[in-house]
Amino acid sequence: MKRTNIRSAAWRHIYAWALILFSIFPIYVVIISSFDPAGGLASSTLLPQRFSWVNYETLFTSPTIPFMTWIWNSSYLAALNAILSIVVGAFSAFAFSRLRFKGRKTGLQTLLLIQVFPAFLALAAIYVMMERIYTIFPAIGLGSHGGLLLIYLGGSMGVNAWLLKGFIDSIPMELDEAAKIDGATPFQIFWQIFVPLSAPVLAVTALLSFIGTFNEFVLASLFLQDVNLRTVAVGLQSFVGAQFGANWGPFAAGSILASVPLVALFLFAQRYIIGGLVSGSVKG
Amino acid sequence: MAKIKQDSKPVRLGPLVAKIIFMSLFASGLGYMMFVAFLAGENLIGGVLALVLIASFVVYSSKGLVPLKFLLPGIVLLAIFVVTPILYTVLMSGFVYKTGNEISREEALTQIYETGYVPDESFTAFYMTLGRYEGEVSALLTDQMTMTPYLGANGVATELGPDQVQLDEYGTAVGFEGFEPIGFDEAATLEADIIDLRFDMGEGKFIRPESLDAALLMIQAFTLDGSSGELYDSVNDITYVDNGEGNFVNKANPEEKLFPGWRAFSPLENYVGLLTDPVIRGPFVNVFIWTFSFALITVATMFAAGLALAIAMDKPLRFKRFYKSILILPYAIPSFMSILIWNGMFNRDFGAVNQLLGQQIDWYNDATLAKLVIIIVNLWLGFPYFYLISSGALQALPGELEEAASIDGASPAQIMARIKLPLLLQILSPLLIASFAFNFNNFNIVYLLTNGGPINVLAGETAGATDILITYAYKTAFGSAEQNLGLASAISVIMFFIVGGLSLWSLRRSKVLESVI
Repeated sequence: MKRTNIRSAAWRHIYAWALILFSIFPIYVVIISSFDPAGGLASSTLLPQRFSWVNYETLFTSPTIPFMTWIWNSSYLAALNAILSIVVGAFSAFAFSRLRFKGRKTGLQTLLLIQVFPAFLALAAIYVMMERIYTIFPAIGLGSHGGLLLIYLGGSMGVNAWLLKGFIDSIPMELDEAAKIDGATPFQIFWQIFVPLSAPVLAVTALLSFIGTFNEFVLASLFLQDVNLRTVAVGLQSFVGAQFGANWGPFAAGSILASVPLVALFLFAQRYIIGGLVSGSVKG
Repeated sequence: MAKIKQDSKPVRLGPLVAKIIFMSLFASGLGYMMFVAFLAGENLIGGVLALVLIASFVVYSSKGLVPLKFLLPGIVLLAIFVVTPILYTVLMSGFVYKTGNEISREEALTQIYETGYVPDESFTAFYMTLGRYEGEVSALLTDQMTMTPYLGANGVATELGPDQVQLDEYGTAVGFEGFEPIGFDEAATLEADIIDLRFDMGEGKFIRPESLDAALLMIQAFTLDGSSGELYDSVNDITYVDNGEGNFVNKANPEEKLFPGWRAFSPLENYVGLLTDPVIRGPFVNVFIWTFSFALITVATMFAAGLALAIAMDKPLRFKRFYKSILILPYAIPSFMSILIWNGMFNRDFGAVNQLLGQQIDWYNDATLAKLVIIIVNLWLGFPYFYLISSGALQALPGELEEAASIDGASPAQIMARIKLPLLLQILSPLLIASFAFNFNNFNIVYLLTNGGPINVLAGETAGATDILITYAYKTAFGSAEQNLGLASAISVIMFFIVGGLSLWSLRRSKVLESVI
């Protein structure tokens, strides 16, 4: 009996270790590449041989790689989209969960159906539409951050509204009934009862939305041709895509710099995110 | 002393003022945009903006309509930026809309007329004096044979009487009342405008500048027969007919097209092409099959690896927390980044994978290997997610099940295989379907890892071995050789049906649609 236990524990450890090695292999490679002064893929080795910060310096000083601009573009686009889509989504979720009106059920079912289509499926139509908007409003047309943000907002609205509605449903009705008796308007109930109560959920939904937008590639590559307007996903792709060999070192350094904040954020909010995962969202 | 609460609420000025300021800024901004749109002749965009403006005014200034006050921003965003592109995709898929067929029929006809002219048989030439007449760039023209003067202005040539014009010593018209001549220097700066000047002489003939001081009588080669819709090329004596697919084609030889073409409404053209045209159907069928196999295989491998890990870690285990925090890393790193990293690691000459294996495997140049790379990298990206959801579901299973089964003499392996697994599959099936739908459209993994390759462009292939529907649609719409937006939209519509059908099936199964409360 004892023997089978040891054997069973052994295969568990072996399997876990196999996956751990698989998991850290690329992370290890990227870390040692980022400190290798030769900087090219050609000179990379599996064991670290030299150490230098030169790749990180290239990243900050090279005029052809506006890396910090890309990071900034991605971060502020993702943050704006997260905040705005949560605000607008929370308003809708509140109405669907708490207010009674005609067409509510149909509206909800429509929302549920619309949100299954990722925005980029309609890429040809989006392109033509935004090209036309560009001719009169360049700031929100093709090639602009404004236009991209509007498309992102539309796309994440449905999902966020749906996720938040599920949470608001779980807040006891008695709370707002009591507030109603005290003479609170629906807006007061929303701001003073619902928003404070669901702050953690709003934060996690916003975080998931942030990560999703940060990772988005298709629409960003379609929209942003100007090097200085690119997001980090489009920027890094164009810069390694052209000559992976030569840019491998700076790319490795850049991917570490860009990943660290997101990984930290993710690990920090892990518990909440995992709760959200099990209730049915998929990482974008 | 207890304060006595007053019944009447004090009016709070601050929020009210803020609200008024916000509303007027919003309304004036939107109103200005509407104005600009209508001015630019974009009535559709202007109309949409007007609708939004009116709707917000009605909803936010009324006492009632509380639900709409909450819903309107969301409705507007969804309607304009999600529903409209979807509907527009369906509409575009009904058009022949590709490189060479991008403009409207009127614009195409204008361009055909523009290119289709030749000097008149008489070879009539004119001396030309450039100037301004009624503010527009115009010309005084003198027939070199008959010395008849003409005024060319506003697109029309008008014959002038000999006494109306001033002549120079050679008998060329150089002055006319209201006509201000311009010198060569200024004319040189206006060259682009001058080249476009046309002065109509009637009967399909017009005068066109050849240089800054000479013009030729040209004849329009193409004439459109209004009743039959046939386009006749009088120079080459060819009759062209509208082929219904956005081009005029030679009546005698329908393969000979006249360019440019136009966006023609031909609702089934793109779909029929996908099913019957061997050039389009071949790659499409391959891409279609690979998209399904990829989504199936990748979900199966990720789920198997994640579930096995969840089972392995289900028992109390030393270092479990440490294991867990490392195993979750691939999921936390931005996925586009990991994909690009793996891209470099599978490099044939210098990649870490080949260094580790001590081989020189050319991963990206072999269809099977490239597919394997995609599956492996996606496994790396996705197994932590399946581990998380599987372990969550395992813990949610009631403990009594296990107890009851072990009392009945079932071994742990039997309990897992016969009791826990079937239950787990049932709980997780909506997430598995959602993951299938997600990977079905997983643009990043394919585009950033293999870019759809390997592809043999020289052999005329339009899709690579690892292209999935969404990357194929992207390349079809924005490829470097030909951009076929109509066909890409048709592929998108097919994807709408697949993704929509899958989701609807999943929602039905989990009874979410019916249980909407």
